[in-house]
Amino acid sequence: MNRQWDVNRRRFWLALGLIAALLTPWQGAAAVDVGHDLVARGRHLFFHETFAGNGRTCGTCHPAENNYTLDAAYIARLPATHPLFVAEFQPALKQGFESPRLMREFGLIRENLDGFDDLDNRFVMRSVPHVLAMTTSVHSPAGPRTGWSGDGAPGDGSLCAFAMGAVIQHFTRSLQRVPGVDFRLPTDAELDALEAFTLSLGRQQELALPLPLKGAQARRGQAIFLDNHLGKCNLCHSNAGANADFGAGNLGNLSFDTGVENLPETPARLSGERIPHDDGFGTPGNGQFNTPPLVEAADTPPFFHNNAAQTMEGAVGFYNSEAFNQSPAGRLLASLDAKGVGIHLDTGQVEAVAAFLRVINALENIRQGDALLRATFGNGSFAYAQNREDLAQAAKEIGDAGRVLSQAGLHPRAADLLRESARLAQWAGYLGIFGEPLAQRALAQLDAARAELIGGTTVVAGLEQGREP
Amino acid sequence: MKQSTLLAGVLAAFLASPPLAYGQKAAEQFIPLGQSPGLSGKQTLIGRIEAVDRLSGSITLAGETGKPGQVRVTPATHIWLDRSLLQLANVSGGMADLIPGQRAEIKFADANRREAEWVKVELTAP
Repeated sequence: MNRQWDVNRRRFWLALGLIAALLTPWQGAAAVDVGHDLVARGRHLFFHETFAGNGRTCGTCHPAENNYTLDAAYIARLPATHPLFVAEFQPALKQGFESPRLMREFGLIRENLDGFDDLDNRFVMRSVPHVLAMTTSVHSPAGPRTGWSGDGAPGDGSLCAFAMGAVIQHFTRSLQRVPGVDFRLPTDAELDALEAFTLSLGRQQELALPLPLKGAQARRGQAIFLDNHLGKCNLCHSNAGANADFGAGNLGNLSFDTGVENLPETPARLSGERIPHDDGFGTPGNGQFNTPPLVEAADTPPFFHNNAAQTMEGAVGFYNSEAFNQSPAGRLLASLDAKGVGIHLDTGQVEAVAAFLRVINALENIRQGDALLRATFGNGSFAYAQNREDLAQAAKEIGDAGRVLSQAGLHPRAADLLRESARLAQWAGYLGIFGEPLAQRALAQLDAARAELIGGTTVVAGLEQGREP
Repeated sequence: MKQSTLLAGVLAAFLASPPLAYGQKAAEQFIPLGQSPGLSGKQTLIGRIEAVDRLSGSITLAGETGKPGQVRVTPATHIWLDRSLLQLANVSGGMADLIPGQRAEIKFADANRREAEWVKVELTAP
Protein backbone atom coordinates (compact mmCIF):
# COMPACT_ATOMS: atom_id res chain seq x y z
CA MET A 1 0.00 0.00 0.00
CA ASN A 2 2.70 2.42 1.06
CA ARG A 3 4.79 1.42 -1.91
CA GLN A 4 1.91 2.06 -4.30
CA TRP A 5 1.39 5.45 -2.68
CA ASP A 6 5.07 6.24 -3.12
CA VAL A 7 4.91 5.30 -6.79
CA ASN A 8 1.83 7.45 -7.31
CA ARG A 9 3.45 10.32 -5.49
CA ARG A 10 6.54 10.07 -7.66
CA ARG A 11 4.39 9.96 -10.81
CA PHE A 12 2.51 13.05 -9.63
CA TRP A 13 5.73 15.03 -9.06
CA LEU A 14 7.19 13.80 -12.32
CA ALA A 15 4.08 14.90 -14.22
CA LEU A 16 4.10 18.25 -12.45
CA GLY A 17 7.76 18.66 -13.32
CA LEU A 18 7.13 17.92 -16.98
CA ILE A 19 4.26 20.39 -17.11
CA ALA A 20 6.38 23.03 -15.38
CA ALA A 21 9.22 22.45 -17.82
CA LEU A 22 6.87 22.86 -20.76
CA LEU A 23 5.38 26.04 -19.37
CA THR A 24 8.65 27.62 -18.42
CA PRO A 25 10.46 29.89 -20.90
CA TRP A 26 13.56 28.13 -22.17
CA GLN A 27 16.83 29.95 -21.78
CA GLY A 28 19.46 27.66 -23.19
CA ALA A 29 23.19 28.02 -22.64
CA ALA A 30 23.72 29.39 -26.13
CA ALA A 31 21.47 32.33 -25.35
CA VAL A 32 23.49 33.41 -22.35
CA ASP A 33 25.64 36.43 -23.05
CA VAL A 34 28.91 35.61 -21.36
CA GLY A 35 31.01 38.24 -23.10
CA HIS A 36 30.80 40.95 -20.47
CA ASP A 37 31.45 38.93 -17.38
CA LEU A 38 34.98 37.62 -16.98
CA VAL A 39 34.01 34.80 -14.63
CA ALA A 40 31.09 33.71 -16.79
CA ARG A 41 33.31 33.82 -19.84
CA GLY A 42 35.91 31.78 -17.98
CA ARG A 43 33.25 29.26 -16.97
CA HIS A 44 32.17 28.90 -20.58
CA LEU A 45 35.77 28.37 -21.71
CA PHE A 46 36.46 25.95 -18.87
CA PHE A 47 33.62 23.62 -19.76
CA HIS A 48 33.23 24.09 -23.51
CA GLU A 49 36.44 25.27 -25.17
CA THR A 50 38.54 22.50 -26.73
CA PHE A 51 41.17 24.86 -28.16
CA ALA A 52 40.91 22.97 -31.47
CA GLY A 53 42.51 19.97 -29.84
CA ASN A 54 41.53 16.39 -29.14
CA GLY A 55 38.12 17.22 -27.68
CA ARG A 56 39.08 17.69 -24.07
CA THR A 57 38.16 20.79 -22.11
CA CYS A 58 39.38 21.87 -18.67
CA GLY A 59 36.16 20.35 -17.36
CA THR A 60 37.09 16.94 -18.75
CA CYS A 61 39.49 16.38 -15.86
CA HIS A 62 37.94 18.95 -13.52
CA PRO A 63 34.20 18.16 -13.77
CA ALA A 64 31.94 20.36 -11.64
CA GLU A 65 29.68 17.38 -10.91
CA ASN A 66 32.61 15.59 -9.25
CA ASN A 67 34.00 18.50 -7.24
CA TYR A 68 36.43 19.43 -10.03
CA THR A 69 38.46 16.26 -9.66
CA LEU A 70 38.57 12.68 -10.92
CA ASP A 71 38.35 9.37 -9.15
CA ALA A 72 37.97 5.84 -10.42
CA ALA A 73 34.29 5.58 -9.50
CA TYR A 74 33.44 8.71 -11.49
CA ILE A 75 35.58 7.60 -14.40
CA ALA A 76 33.79 4.23 -14.48
CA ARG A 77 30.49 6.00 -15.18
CA LEU A 78 31.78 7.83 -18.27
CA PRO A 79 31.00 6.54 -21.78
CA ALA A 80 33.81 4.95 -23.78
CA THR A 81 33.77 7.89 -26.19
CA HIS A 82 34.37 10.47 -23.46
CA PRO A 83 37.34 12.71 -24.34
CA LEU A 84 39.10 11.66 -21.15
CA PHE A 85 39.76 8.38 -22.98
CA VAL A 86 41.22 9.85 -26.18
CA ALA A 87 44.29 7.66 -25.78
CA GLU A 88 42.05 4.62 -26.21
CA PHE A 89 40.42 5.61 -29.48
CA GLN A 90 42.58 8.21 -31.23
CA PRO A 91 45.44 6.38 -32.97
CA ALA A 92 47.86 9.33 -32.75
CA LEU A 93 47.57 9.31 -28.96
CA LYS A 94 47.67 5.58 -28.25
CA GLN A 95 51.32 5.46 -27.21
CA GLY A 96 52.99 7.90 -24.85
CA PHE A 97 50.00 10.12 -24.04
CA GLU A 98 48.21 8.43 -21.15
CA SER A 99 48.37 5.17 -19.22
CA PRO A 100 44.77 4.00 -19.69
CA ARG A 101 44.75 1.36 -16.98
CA LEU A 102 46.21 3.74 -14.40
CA MET A 103 43.66 6.33 -15.42
CA ARG A 104 40.64 4.04 -15.23
CA GLU A 105 41.56 2.13 -12.10
CA PHE A 106 43.30 4.83 -10.07
CA GLY A 107 42.34 8.19 -11.59
CA LEU A 108 45.94 8.99 -12.53
CA ILE A 109 46.92 11.24 -15.43
CA ARG A 110 50.22 11.23 -17.27
CA GLU A 111 52.34 14.39 -17.09
CA ASN A 112 55.67 15.21 -18.76
CA LEU A 113 56.86 17.84 -16.34
CA ASP A 114 60.53 17.05 -16.92
CA GLY A 115 60.35 17.17 -20.70
CA PHE A 116 58.74 15.60 -23.73
CA ASP A 117 61.79 14.04 -25.34
CA ASP A 118 61.35 10.49 -23.98
CA LEU A 119 57.63 9.91 -23.70
CA ASP A 120 57.88 6.20 -22.92
CA ASN A 121 60.16 6.62 -19.93
CA ARG A 122 60.12 10.19 -18.74
CA PHE A 123 56.74 10.92 -17.19
CA VAL A 124 54.95 11.01 -13.87
CA MET A 125 51.49 9.78 -12.93
CA ARG A 126 49.50 12.37 -11.01
CA SER A 127 46.07 12.58 -9.48
CA VAL A 128 43.84 15.50 -10.50
CA PRO A 129 43.76 18.15 -7.78
CA HIS A 130 40.42 19.89 -7.34
CA VAL A 131 40.52 23.59 -8.14
CA LEU A 132 38.40 24.80 -5.24
CA ALA A 133 39.46 27.60 -2.87
CA MET A 134 42.47 28.49 -4.99
CA THR A 135 42.12 32.10 -3.92
CA THR A 136 43.37 30.93 -0.56
CA SER A 137 46.00 28.45 -1.69
CA VAL A 138 47.89 29.48 -4.81
CA HIS A 139 50.16 32.10 -3.29
CA SER A 140 53.55 31.45 -1.74
CA PRO A 141 56.39 33.74 -0.71
CA ALA A 142 58.35 32.40 -3.68
CA GLY A 143 55.60 33.07 -6.20
CA PRO A 144 52.52 31.20 -7.35
CA ARG A 145 52.31 27.45 -6.90
CA THR A 146 50.22 25.59 -9.46
CA GLY A 147 49.62 21.88 -9.90
CA TRP A 148 50.69 19.22 -7.42
CA SER A 149 54.35 20.19 -7.43
CA GLY A 150 53.95 23.93 -7.84
CA ASP A 151 55.56 23.94 -11.26
CA GLY A 152 52.55 23.25 -13.45
CA ALA A 153 52.52 26.50 -15.41
CA PRO A 154 54.86 27.63 -18.19
CA GLY A 155 55.67 31.29 -18.81
CA ASP A 156 55.82 33.18 -15.55
CA GLY A 157 54.53 30.17 -13.60
CA SER A 158 51.30 31.93 -12.64
CA LEU A 159 47.80 30.52 -12.38
CA CYS A 160 46.95 32.67 -15.39
CA ALA A 161 49.60 30.88 -17.47
CA PHE A 162 48.57 27.44 -16.23
CA ALA A 163 45.93 26.82 -18.90
CA MET A 164 48.50 27.21 -21.67
CA GLY A 165 50.57 24.38 -20.25
CA ALA A 166 47.45 22.27 -19.78
CA VAL A 167 46.47 22.70 -23.42
CA ILE A 168 49.95 21.64 -24.56
CA GLN A 169 50.03 18.63 -22.23
CA HIS A 170 46.46 17.35 -22.34
CA PHE A 171 44.58 18.81 -25.34
CA THR A 172 46.89 17.89 -28.21
CA ARG A 173 45.75 15.91 -31.24
CA SER A 174 49.18 14.35 -31.71
CA LEU A 175 52.40 13.91 -29.79
CA GLN A 176 54.10 16.42 -32.08
CA ARG A 177 52.27 19.14 -30.16
CA VAL A 178 52.42 21.72 -32.96
CA PRO A 179 50.57 24.96 -32.09
CA GLY A 180 48.06 25.81 -34.79
CA VAL A 181 47.96 22.19 -35.93
CA ASP A 182 47.40 19.98 -32.90
CA PHE A 183 45.72 22.70 -30.81
CA ARG A 184 45.50 26.44 -30.64
CA LEU A 185 47.01 28.27 -27.72
CA PRO A 186 44.72 30.32 -25.48
CA THR A 187 44.77 34.06 -26.00
CA ASP A 188 45.71 36.41 -23.18
CA ALA A 189 42.03 37.32 -22.78
CA GLU A 190 41.10 33.65 -22.51
CA LEU A 191 43.83 33.03 -19.95
CA ASP A 192 42.54 35.97 -17.89
CA ALA A 193 38.98 34.64 -18.02
CA LEU A 194 40.01 31.11 -17.07
CA GLU A 195 42.00 32.45 -14.16
CA ALA A 196 39.07 34.57 -12.97
CA PHE A 197 36.72 31.58 -13.14
CA THR A 198 39.13 29.29 -11.35
CA LEU A 199 39.65 31.81 -8.57
CA SER A 200 35.88 32.18 -8.19
CA LEU A 201 35.40 28.54 -7.26
CA GLY A 202 34.71 27.46 -3.69
CA ARG A 203 35.85 29.10 -0.51
CA GLN A 204 37.13 32.64 -0.82
CA GLN A 205 38.57 32.96 2.66
CA GLU A 206 40.14 30.89 5.37
CA LEU A 207 38.22 29.44 8.28
CA ALA A 208 38.95 30.80 11.73
CA LEU A 209 39.51 27.79 13.95
CA PRO A 210 38.43 26.63 16.43
CA LEU A 211 34.78 26.23 15.47
CA PRO A 212 32.10 25.48 18.07
CA LEU A 213 31.54 21.94 16.86
CA LYS A 214 28.85 19.87 18.58
CA GLY A 215 30.11 16.36 17.92
CA ALA A 216 32.52 15.09 20.57
CA GLN A 217 34.69 13.19 18.10
CA ALA A 218 35.02 16.10 15.67
CA ARG A 219 35.65 18.48 18.54
CA ARG A 220 38.43 16.23 19.84
CA GLY A 221 39.80 15.95 16.32
CA GLN A 222 39.87 19.72 16.04
CA ALA A 223 41.79 19.98 19.31
CA ILE A 224 44.35 17.42 18.10
CA PHE A 225 44.59 19.19 14.74
CA LEU A 226 45.34 22.50 16.44
CA ASP A 227 47.72 21.06 19.03
CA ASN A 228 51.24 21.89 17.84
CA HIS A 229 52.66 19.22 20.15
CA LEU A 230 50.31 16.38 19.19
CA GLY A 231 48.63 16.50 15.79
CA LYS A 232 50.81 19.35 14.51
CA CYS A 233 48.49 19.57 11.50
CA ASN A 234 47.84 23.29 11.87
CA LEU A 235 51.49 24.19 11.35
CA CYS A 236 51.34 23.43 7.64
CA HIS A 237 47.54 23.48 7.20
CA SER A 238 46.75 26.65 9.11
CA ASN A 239 42.98 26.81 9.75
CA ALA A 240 42.70 23.57 7.77
CA GLY A 241 43.75 25.42 4.65
CA ALA A 242 46.82 25.16 2.44
CA ASN A 243 49.04 27.74 4.10
CA ALA A 244 51.66 27.37 6.79
CA ASP A 245 51.84 29.29 10.02
CA PHE A 246 54.63 28.46 12.44
CA GLY A 247 53.58 31.13 14.85
CA ALA A 248 54.72 34.22 13.02
CA GLY A 249 51.74 34.63 10.72
CA ASN A 250 50.69 33.29 7.35
CA LEU A 251 53.67 31.99 5.36
CA GLY A 252 51.59 31.19 2.29
CA ASN A 253 51.51 27.91 0.46
CA LEU A 254 54.66 25.90 1.10
CA SER A 255 55.98 22.74 -0.50
CA PHE A 256 57.33 19.77 1.44
CA ASP A 257 58.82 16.37 0.86
CA THR A 258 56.53 14.28 3.05
CA GLY A 259 57.63 10.91 1.75
CA VAL A 260 54.31 10.02 0.08
CA GLU A 261 56.22 9.17 -3.07
CA ASN A 262 58.28 6.64 -1.12
CA LEU A 263 55.31 4.59 0.03
CA PRO A 264 56.06 1.18 -1.47
CA GLU A 265 52.53 -0.17 -1.65
CA THR A 266 50.28 2.50 -3.11
CA PRO A 267 47.28 1.08 -4.98
CA ALA A 268 48.69 2.09 -8.35
CA ARG A 269 52.12 0.62 -7.69
CA LEU A 270 50.55 -2.66 -6.61
CA SER A 271 48.98 -2.90 -10.07
CA GLY A 272 52.39 -3.68 -11.54
CA GLU A 273 52.01 -0.92 -14.15
CA ARG A 274 55.10 1.10 -14.90
CA ILE A 275 55.20 4.27 -12.77
CA PRO A 276 58.47 6.23 -12.82
CA HIS A 277 59.56 7.96 -9.64
CA ASP A 278 57.95 11.39 -9.25
CA ASP A 279 60.58 13.88 -8.11
CA GLY A 280 58.19 16.78 -7.46
CA PHE A 281 59.08 20.42 -7.93
CA GLY A 282 61.53 21.45 -10.64
CA THR A 283 63.82 19.66 -13.06
CA PRO A 284 65.52 17.71 -11.61
CA GLY A 285 62.98 17.67 -8.84
CA ASN A 286 63.57 18.30 -5.16
CA GLY A 287 60.95 15.81 -3.96
CA GLN A 288 58.58 18.51 -2.78
CA PHE A 289 54.85 18.80 -3.38
CA ASN A 290 52.37 21.53 -2.52
CA THR A 291 50.31 21.60 0.64
CA PRO A 292 46.66 21.18 -0.41
CA PRO A 293 43.72 22.76 1.45
CA LEU A 294 41.96 20.34 3.83
CA VAL A 295 38.51 21.89 4.13
CA GLU A 296 37.62 20.47 0.74
CA ALA A 297 39.46 17.17 1.22
CA ALA A 298 36.81 14.74 2.49
CA ASP A 299 34.63 14.88 -0.62
CA THR A 300 37.53 14.91 -3.08
CA PRO A 301 39.24 11.55 -2.51
CA PRO A 302 41.58 9.81 -3.17
CA PHE A 303 44.39 11.72 -1.52
CA PHE A 304 47.93 12.93 -2.29
CA HIS A 305 49.59 13.53 -5.64
CA ASN A 306 49.58 9.82 -6.46
CA ASN A 307 46.18 8.91 -5.00
CA ALA A 308 48.03 6.87 -2.39
CA ALA A 309 45.22 6.97 0.19
CA GLN A 310 41.61 6.16 -0.62
CA THR A 311 40.00 7.38 2.59
CA MET A 312 40.25 10.42 4.83
CA GLU A 313 41.24 8.12 7.70
CA GLY A 314 43.99 6.57 5.57
CA ALA A 315 45.29 9.99 4.59
CA VAL A 316 45.49 11.17 8.21
CA GLY A 317 47.01 7.83 9.19
CA PHE A 318 49.80 8.35 6.66
CA TYR A 319 51.34 10.92 8.98
CA ASN A 320 51.95 8.18 11.54
CA SER A 321 53.92 6.16 9.02
CA GLU A 322 57.62 5.57 8.76
CA ALA A 323 57.46 7.04 5.26
CA PHE A 324 56.36 10.37 6.73
CA ASN A 325 58.39 10.34 9.92
CA GLN A 326 61.59 9.52 8.04
CA SER A 327 60.93 12.12 5.34
CA PRO A 328 62.47 15.61 5.39
CA ALA A 329 59.13 17.06 6.56
CA GLY A 330 58.75 14.43 9.27
CA ARG A 331 62.30 14.92 10.49
CA LEU A 332 61.72 18.65 10.56
CA LEU A 333 58.71 18.21 12.84
CA ALA A 334 60.69 15.84 15.04
CA SER A 335 63.48 18.40 15.33
CA LEU A 336 60.95 20.91 16.68
CA ASP A 337 59.60 18.44 19.24
CA ALA A 338 61.00 18.28 22.78
CA LYS A 339 60.85 14.47 22.65
CA GLY A 340 62.06 14.23 19.09
CA VAL A 341 58.76 12.83 17.87
CA GLY A 342 57.40 13.68 14.43
CA ILE A 343 53.74 12.69 14.49
CA HIS A 344 52.48 9.78 16.53
CA LEU A 345 48.73 9.44 16.97
CA ASP A 346 46.78 6.43 18.17
CA THR A 347 43.94 4.98 16.13
CA GLY A 348 41.26 6.91 17.98
CA GLN A 349 43.13 10.16 17.43
CA VAL A 350 43.49 9.47 13.72
CA GLU A 351 39.75 8.80 13.51
CA ALA A 352 39.03 11.98 15.46
CA VAL A 353 41.12 14.18 13.16
CA ALA A 354 39.45 12.57 10.14
CA ALA A 355 36.04 13.16 11.74
CA PHE A 356 36.91 16.82 12.20
CA LEU A 357 37.94 17.11 8.55
CA ARG A 358 34.74 15.39 7.46
CA VAL A 359 32.61 17.77 9.51
CA ILE A 360 34.29 20.95 8.23
CA ASN A 361 33.96 19.63 4.68
CA ALA A 362 30.24 19.04 5.32
CA LEU A 363 29.93 22.57 6.74
CA GLU A 364 31.58 24.00 3.64
CA ASN A 365 29.18 21.99 1.46
CA ILE A 366 26.29 23.32 3.53
CA ARG A 367 27.56 26.88 3.13
CA GLN A 368 27.69 26.48 -0.62
CA GLY A 369 24.33 24.72 -0.75
CA ASP A 370 22.82 27.50 1.30
CA ALA A 371 24.17 30.19 -1.01
CA LEU A 372 23.03 28.33 -4.12
CA LEU A 373 19.50 27.78 -2.80
CA ARG A 374 19.15 31.39 -1.74
CA ALA A 375 20.38 32.58 -5.13
CA THR A 376 17.33 31.00 -6.77
CA PHE A 377 14.71 32.72 -4.63
CA GLY A 378 12.51 35.33 -6.26
CA ASN A 379 14.16 35.07 -9.64
CA GLY A 380 10.96 34.30 -11.56
CA SER A 381 10.87 32.51 -14.86
CA PHE A 382 13.57 34.49 -16.65
CA ALA A 383 16.36 32.88 -14.67
CA TYR A 384 15.01 29.38 -15.17
CA ALA A 385 18.17 27.92 -16.69
CA GLN A 386 20.41 29.46 -14.04
CA ASN A 387 18.06 28.39 -11.26
CA ARG A 388 17.98 24.84 -12.53
CA GLU A 389 21.78 24.76 -12.67
CA ASP A 390 22.10 26.29 -9.19
CA LEU A 391 19.58 23.89 -7.70
CA ALA A 392 21.30 20.88 -9.24
CA GLN A 393 24.62 22.08 -7.86
CA ALA A 394 23.02 22.77 -4.47
CA ALA A 395 21.66 19.23 -4.43
CA LYS A 396 25.12 17.95 -5.29
CA GLU A 397 26.84 19.95 -2.53
CA ILE A 398 24.25 19.02 0.08
CA GLY A 399 24.38 15.39 -0.98
CA ASP A 400 28.15 15.43 -0.57
CA ALA A 401 27.77 16.83 2.94
CA GLY A 402 25.52 13.95 3.92
CA ARG A 403 27.82 11.43 2.30
CA VAL A 404 31.06 12.54 3.98
CA LEU A 405 29.32 12.27 7.34
CA SER A 406 27.56 8.96 6.81
CA GLN A 407 30.69 7.31 5.35
CA ALA A 408 32.16 7.51 8.84
CA GLY A 409 28.94 7.14 10.82
CA LEU A 410 29.06 10.75 11.97
CA HIS A 411 26.01 12.80 12.91
CA PRO A 412 23.36 10.37 11.59
CA ARG A 413 20.50 12.81 12.23
CA ALA A 414 22.28 15.55 10.24
CA ALA A 415 23.05 13.08 7.45
CA ASP A 416 19.34 12.22 7.19
CA LEU A 417 18.38 15.90 7.07
CA LEU A 418 20.99 16.52 4.39
CA ARG A 419 19.74 13.65 2.26
CA GLU A 420 16.23 15.04 2.46
CA SER A 421 17.45 18.56 1.71
CA ALA A 422 19.35 17.34 -1.33
CA ARG A 423 16.28 15.49 -2.58
CA LEU A 424 14.12 18.58 -2.20
CA ALA A 425 16.68 20.76 -3.98
CA GLN A 426 16.81 18.27 -6.83
CA TRP A 427 13.03 18.28 -7.20
CA ALA A 428 12.93 22.06 -6.95
CA GLY A 429 15.19 22.11 -9.99
CA TYR A 430 12.92 19.74 -11.90
CA LEU A 431 9.87 21.86 -11.15
CA GLY A 432 11.26 25.08 -12.60
CA ILE A 433 9.18 28.10 -11.71
CA PHE A 434 7.04 26.00 -9.34
CA GLY A 435 10.04 24.78 -7.41
CA GLU A 436 10.65 27.60 -4.97
CA PRO A 437 8.53 26.18 -2.12
CA LEU A 438 10.56 23.00 -2.32
CA ALA A 439 13.80 24.99 -2.36
CA GLN A 440 12.59 26.80 0.77
CA ARG A 441 11.97 23.46 2.45
CA ALA A 442 15.39 22.27 1.35
CA LEU A 443 16.90 25.34 3.01
CA ALA A 444 15.01 24.66 6.24
CA GLN A 445 16.33 21.10 6.32
CA LEU A 446 19.80 22.42 5.59
CA ASP A 447 19.60 24.87 8.49
CA ALA A 448 18.49 22.04 10.78
CA ALA A 449 21.39 19.85 9.63
CA ARG A 450 23.88 22.64 10.23
CA ALA A 451 22.49 23.17 13.72
CA GLU A 452 23.29 19.51 14.43
CA LEU A 453 26.94 20.10 13.56
CA ILE A 454 27.85 23.50 14.89
CA GLY A 455 26.69 25.88 17.59
CA GLY A 456 27.21 29.54 18.15
CA THR A 457 25.80 32.15 15.84
CA THR A 458 23.79 31.25 12.76
CA VAL A 459 26.27 30.56 10.02
CA VAL A 460 24.99 31.98 6.79
CA ALA A 461 27.64 33.95 4.98
CA GLY A 462 30.59 31.86 6.04
CA LEU A 463 31.88 29.41 8.57
CA GLU A 464 34.02 32.10 10.12
CA GLN A 465 30.89 33.53 11.72
CA GLY A 466 30.55 30.42 13.76
CA ARG A 467 33.82 30.93 15.59
CA GLU A 468 33.89 30.16 19.28
CA PRO A 469 33.58 33.22 21.51
CA MET B 1 54.79 28.35 20.93
CA LYS B 2 58.38 28.57 22.10
CA GLN B 3 60.58 31.13 20.41
CA SER B 4 63.04 28.45 19.34
CA THR B 5 60.22 26.52 17.74
CA LEU B 6 59.03 29.59 15.96
CA LEU B 7 62.48 30.43 14.67
CA ALA B 8 63.04 26.90 13.54
CA GLY B 9 59.66 26.96 11.88
CA VAL B 10 60.36 30.12 9.99
CA LEU B 11 63.72 28.72 8.96
CA ALA B 12 62.02 25.54 7.88
CA ALA B 13 59.56 27.48 5.83
CA PHE B 14 62.34 29.06 3.87
CA LEU B 15 64.19 25.79 3.52
CA ALA B 16 61.06 23.97 2.51
CA SER B 17 59.99 26.41 -0.12
CA PRO B 18 61.65 26.51 -3.52
CA PRO B 19 63.55 29.74 -4.01
CA LEU B 20 61.90 31.45 -6.95
CA ALA B 21 58.73 31.69 -8.99
CA TYR B 22 59.01 28.88 -11.43
CA GLY B 23 57.87 28.58 -15.02
CA GLN B 24 57.68 25.04 -16.28
CA LYS B 25 60.31 24.41 -18.97
CA ALA B 26 58.77 21.31 -20.49
CA ALA B 27 55.69 23.01 -21.94
CA GLU B 28 57.62 26.22 -22.66
CA GLN B 29 59.31 24.46 -25.56
CA PHE B 30 56.03 24.31 -27.47
CA ILE B 31 55.05 27.95 -27.05
CA PRO B 32 55.97 30.02 -30.11
CA LEU B 33 58.40 32.88 -29.80
CA GLY B 34 56.78 35.96 -28.28
CA GLN B 35 53.76 34.14 -26.82
CA SER B 36 54.99 32.96 -23.44
CA PRO B 37 52.32 34.03 -20.94
CA GLY B 38 53.46 36.62 -18.45
CA LEU B 39 56.98 36.60 -19.87
CA SER B 40 57.05 37.67 -23.51
CA GLY B 41 57.38 41.38 -23.90
CA LYS B 42 57.67 41.77 -20.13
CA GLN B 43 60.53 39.68 -18.85
CA THR B 44 62.14 38.46 -22.06
CA LEU B 45 64.29 40.03 -24.70
CA ILE B 46 63.12 39.63 -28.29
CA GLY B 47 65.23 40.61 -31.27
CA ARG B 48 67.43 39.44 -34.13
CA ILE B 49 70.70 37.65 -33.64
CA GLU B 50 73.50 39.90 -34.89
CA ALA B 51 76.47 37.76 -33.95
CA VAL B 52 77.25 34.38 -32.47
CA ASP B 53 80.50 33.62 -30.64
CA ARG B 54 80.55 29.87 -30.17
CA LEU B 55 83.90 29.88 -28.41
CA SER B 56 82.85 32.18 -25.60
CA GLY B 57 79.25 30.98 -25.68
CA SER B 58 77.61 34.30 -26.34
CA ILE B 59 75.24 35.85 -28.81
CA THR B 60 74.52 39.47 -29.62
CA LEU B 61 70.95 40.52 -30.09
CA ALA B 62 69.49 43.65 -31.68
CA GLY B 63 66.38 44.17 -29.62
CA GLU B 64 62.77 44.60 -30.59
CA THR B 65 61.88 44.47 -26.89
CA GLY B 66 64.07 44.70 -23.83
CA LYS B 67 67.65 45.89 -23.63
CA PRO B 68 69.68 44.55 -26.57
CA GLY B 69 73.28 43.46 -26.38
CA GLN B 70 75.38 40.44 -25.59
CA VAL B 71 73.85 37.42 -23.89
CA ARG B 72 75.71 34.49 -22.36
CA VAL B 73 74.60 31.02 -23.31
CA THR B 74 75.69 28.44 -20.73
CA PRO B 75 75.52 24.64 -20.75
CA ALA B 76 72.38 24.98 -18.60
CA THR B 77 70.63 27.16 -21.18
CA HIS B 78 67.76 25.48 -23.04
CA ILE B 79 67.84 26.26 -26.75
CA TRP B 80 64.57 25.60 -28.58
CA LEU B 81 63.98 25.75 -32.30
CA ASP B 82 60.57 27.29 -32.84
CA ARG B 83 59.26 25.72 -36.04
CA SER B 84 55.61 26.62 -35.50
CA LEU B 85 55.58 28.89 -38.58
CA LEU B 86 56.50 25.79 -40.57
CA GLN B 87 53.75 23.84 -38.78
CA LEU B 88 56.37 21.49 -37.42
CA ALA B 89 57.06 20.46 -33.84
CA ASN B 90 59.40 22.63 -31.82
CA VAL B 91 62.55 20.76 -30.89
CA SER B 92 65.61 21.21 -28.73
CA GLY B 93 68.68 22.65 -30.40
CA GLY B 94 72.21 23.70 -29.59
CA MET B 95 74.62 26.58 -30.02
CA ALA B 96 75.27 25.44 -33.59
CA ASP B 97 71.63 26.16 -34.45
CA LEU B 98 71.97 29.86 -33.59
CA ILE B 99 72.61 31.83 -36.77
CA PRO B 100 72.85 35.60 -37.33
CA GLY B 101 69.65 37.02 -38.78
CA GLN B 102 67.37 34.69 -36.90
CA ARG B 103 64.65 36.12 -34.70
CA ALA B 104 65.16 35.04 -31.11
CA GLU B 105 63.64 35.39 -27.67
CA ILE B 106 65.68 35.16 -24.49
CA LYS B 107 64.64 34.62 -20.89
CA PHE B 108 67.38 35.43 -18.45
CA ALA B 109 68.37 33.16 -15.60
CA ASP B 110 70.37 36.05 -14.24
CA ALA B 111 69.56 39.40 -15.79
CA ASN B 112 72.54 41.16 -14.19
CA ARG B 113 75.03 38.69 -15.60
CA ARG B 114 72.92 38.44 -18.78
CA GLU B 115 72.89 34.65 -18.64
CA ALA B 116 70.15 33.02 -20.62
CA GLU B 117 67.81 30.48 -18.99
CA TRP B 118 66.33 29.69 -22.38
CA VAL B 119 66.62 30.85 -25.96
CA LYS B 120 63.96 30.36 -28.62
CA VAL B 121 64.91 30.87 -32.23
CA GLU B 122 62.30 31.14 -34.94
CA LEU B 123 62.89 28.99 -37.99
CA THR B 124 61.26 30.12 -41.22
CA ALA B 125 62.71 27.48 -43.51
CA PRO B 126 63.20 23.75 -42.89
